[in-house]
Amino acid sequence: MKSSALFLSLIKRLTTSVFVLFLTVSFLFVLVRIAPGDPSQKFLSPNLSPQLVERVKSSFQLDKQIHEQYISFLKNALTGDFGVSYSFHRPVNEVIAEVLPFTILFSLSAFILQLIGGLLFAVLAFRYHQKFWDKFLSRGSLFLYAVPSFVSGLFFVYLFSVQLQIFPSSGIKTVGTLENNYFFLLLDYAHHLFLPVLVLSLTGLPVYFKYFRENFEENQNKLFTLYLRANGISERKILFSHLIPNSLNSIIAYAGVDLGILFSGALITEVIFSLPGMGRLAVGAILQRDYPLIIGCTLTAGVLIILTSLLADLIRLKIDKRLIKGLLN
Amino acid sequence: MFIVWKNIYIFFLLLVTIFVGCKKISTDNNTQVVIAIPSDIERINPLFSYSVNEGNISELLFLSLVKHSWDDKTGDIKTEPMLANSWEWNSDSSAITLELRNDVHWSDGVLVTIDDVIFSFDVYSDPVVESYLYGSFKCFYTNNDNHIIAERTFEKISETKLKINFAPGSTPSLFTLDFPIVPKHVFDKMPRKEIATAKENFSPVTSGPFTLEKWEKNQAIIIKENPKSFLHKDGNVKRIIFKVIPDYNARLTQLKNGEVDLAEYLKPEDVNGLKNTGSLVVTSLKGREYDYLGWNNLDPVQFKKNHKIVPNKLFGSAKVRQALSMAINRNEILSEYLQGYGELANSPISPIFKNAIDEKLQPYVFDLAKVKTLLAEEGWIDKDQNGILEKNGVEFNFTLTISSNNPRRIFAATVFKNTFKQLGIEMNIEQLELGMLIDRINNKSVDAWMASWIIPIPLDLKFSWYSNLATTPMNFPSYQNKELDALLDKLETKISWQQKNEIYKKIEAILYRDQPVTFLYWIDNIVAYNKKIKNIEVTPLGTVHHCWLWQ
Repeated sequence: MKSSALFLSLIKRLTTSVFVLFLTVSFLFVLVRIAPGDPSQKFLSPNLSPQLVERVKSSFQLDKQIHEQYISFLKNALTGDFGVSYSFHRPVNEVIAEVLPFTILFSLSAFILQLIGGLLFAVLAFRYHQKFWDKFLSRGSLFLYAVPSFVSGLFFVYLFSVQLQIFPSSGIKTVGTLENNYFFLLLDYAHHLFLPVLVLSLTGLPVYFKYFRENFEENQNKLFTLYLRANGISERKILFSHLIPNSLNSIIAYAGVDLGILFSGALITEVIFSLPGMGRLAVGAILQRDYPLIIGCTLTAGVLIILTSLLADLIRLKIDKRLIKGLLN
Repeated sequence: MFIVWKNIYIFFLLLVTIFVGCKKISTDNNTQVVIAIPSDIERINPLFSYSVNEGNISELLFLSLVKHSWDDKTGDIKTEPMLANSWEWNSDSSAITLELRNDVHWSDGVLVTIDDVIFSFDVYSDPVVESYLYGSFKCFYTNNDNHIIAERTFEKISETKLKINFAPGSTPSLFTLDFPIVPKHVFDKMPRKEIATAKENFSPVTSGPFTLEKWEKNQAIIIKENPKSFLHKDGNVKRIIFKVIPDYNARLTQLKNGEVDLAEYLKPEDVNGLKNTGSLVVTSLKGREYDYLGWNNLDPVQFKKNHKIVPNKLFGSAKVRQALSMAINRNEILSEYLQGYGELANSPISPIFKNAIDEKLQPYVFDLAKVKTLLAEEGWIDKDQNGILEKNGVEFNFTLTISSNNPRRIFAATVFKNTFKQLGIEMNIEQLELGMLIDRINNKSVDAWMASWIIPIPLDLKFSWYSNLATTPMNFPSYQNKELDALLDKLETKISWQQKNEIYKKIEAILYRDQPVTFLYWIDNIVAYNKKIKNIEVTPLGTVHHCWLWQ
């Protein structure tokens, strides 16, 4: 495959993605406005004057027709301006940019942990095929998969924060201390993020474990494995040099989408551990009818899912060049 | 393989050891108080203190002309000096002359002056700014936009003396002057429209007993003592951290752990666990919030069609509403769900206003026999013996709409449904997301709903009970009564405190008689705080009120 063909395919894929994002945002723009409730509701209070509600509606442009609002939105969006958040009173881009680095760090840590954990446990299960460890890990992973994150989250908080008092129960850092010492600051972040990352990864870890294990089992009976074994290649070499690389292809495709979803926010974990992530931001925006922020969060999540999925496909392509036609169309 | 696992084990052991050490490093000291709040604030600018927490924090960072505290003996508020050292009303209360302190500085060193005070009145009432007080300066000279006319209102007598003239016929009080003063030299530089999104809303120039140390978005707001403030006193709390903890269980855990020193809105079922810690004081703030069962007094179909006000077929009669109030066993919910942290409500006038309520008024008693008699008198009889009452071919069948995720109301709705069924009233329960519920109540398209109401201090009833639905959007049940309107109007005239209280008693009697809604119970705000905090007062004005006095 020539590089120009690859480039054209990439352009085609990106164009389609932009069109999908445009349709999603347009649909959402109309949907949130015709849905019950509006952002001025929070100004309906015994302590506030009814005239204020009218002023706010006018300043949010909610007194205009939907198509007028939409045209105005499109004009601004083309210049990269997605409006000012009704609840943060700052540009949407700025609000999202504030939580996005944390979300990426948090999600990426959980993603790496579940990927490495899944692989390690799958290797262990494979090594002890049909023995105690294999059965224990298979059943244990099923159990972990079935436990919702709010249960595991509360359990870990109870065990590690309340009883053992090893980890803090919320936040990303100790509030108001350790400001000037970067080493302790780093340690403090790790200290606070240990439990949330563990809880978030526990839901994905069994999936990766299952993927890897199934793939090892499937590939170990294929002709190439039998051939390697017949040639006296050690089991260790077969596993690390052949079975694992051959399993990666389908796992990377899943991991690409999974990482994108993780980047869009992990609401339950964020709420339990009071973390400032995309999930909390998006749900807060929905509950407060913060229309510009809802659109901003959706767009960000969409872009991240498309990018991670594309990245996964490019990695797969690097591993196996035969996939190019299917992947980039 | 064994070596790999051994290394992993050692790594985790090392990690735990470091973390345990880290925990010890970050121990809090005794001069700071950590207060749990469920969500972050939006801005630190008193102009936009729409939420309780924004109001609380603004009060600590910005001074008002006067301060108010709660007098439990009289059941009313009392006024004390703050930025204004003293004041004097003229003979007919049409003007007040204030003497301001000359020793208060903004956090950037600029002196707080009369110009800041005049600017504050101007900017709070400016429609372009959309401050939380917009539209509430009715006692002042204002133009058609409700914007205060500064030239007619203020007379600068000297550098520290200011005269404020009120509109003729108005009934001003010191409460109309109780709002935080904002710095003119900061906000005067920018167009008024841009104040709402100004960067100064996130790093404010302040004048209060505390200054902003740091605002870690979605994590914490940290304020520290202002040693230059005349309110500063050695030995009092030096630092207050408002820690954002969205999850209720996390707040509870941290309160028990000692990570948090104060939390509000706790559940009655958690009180024993909190008391058992031995380190917490559990108390409650009474009489600010009540639950009610709203009856749509008008026909929603007719109203939707042509905004015509026609009495509701089911709830249009006061006698039927009285019957429904008697059919509700409020004591059951009070004892089983609120576990004593509440009391029965007779009217929207809270028992904390000791002089405004009629203590002889007894709550409606749960009496099903009397309910049946009252309903029969109104023509609601089960003629076709199908188990449901009917009148003129209309069955007594309605939907009670409640917000989802509120266990107390879900429990109460189930109790009501069962009782109504015994009476031949078919009630369906519909749970909606809060925003959708508010929308439906606003549109007057619900039959009945259950919600709560937080009462303002000082007492104000006109905004929710006046008959004119166009000017009173918060008259959600659409109750209309001319006698009540006349009394509400009279409250706005120049009458004595005693006369006011007599009128409140008459209003209470009317609302009690007509039951436009069924007033269910006053709900206590359960507060728990660490015993280390001294000199704390939990009053109807709030928990975090005047907390520069905490020790």
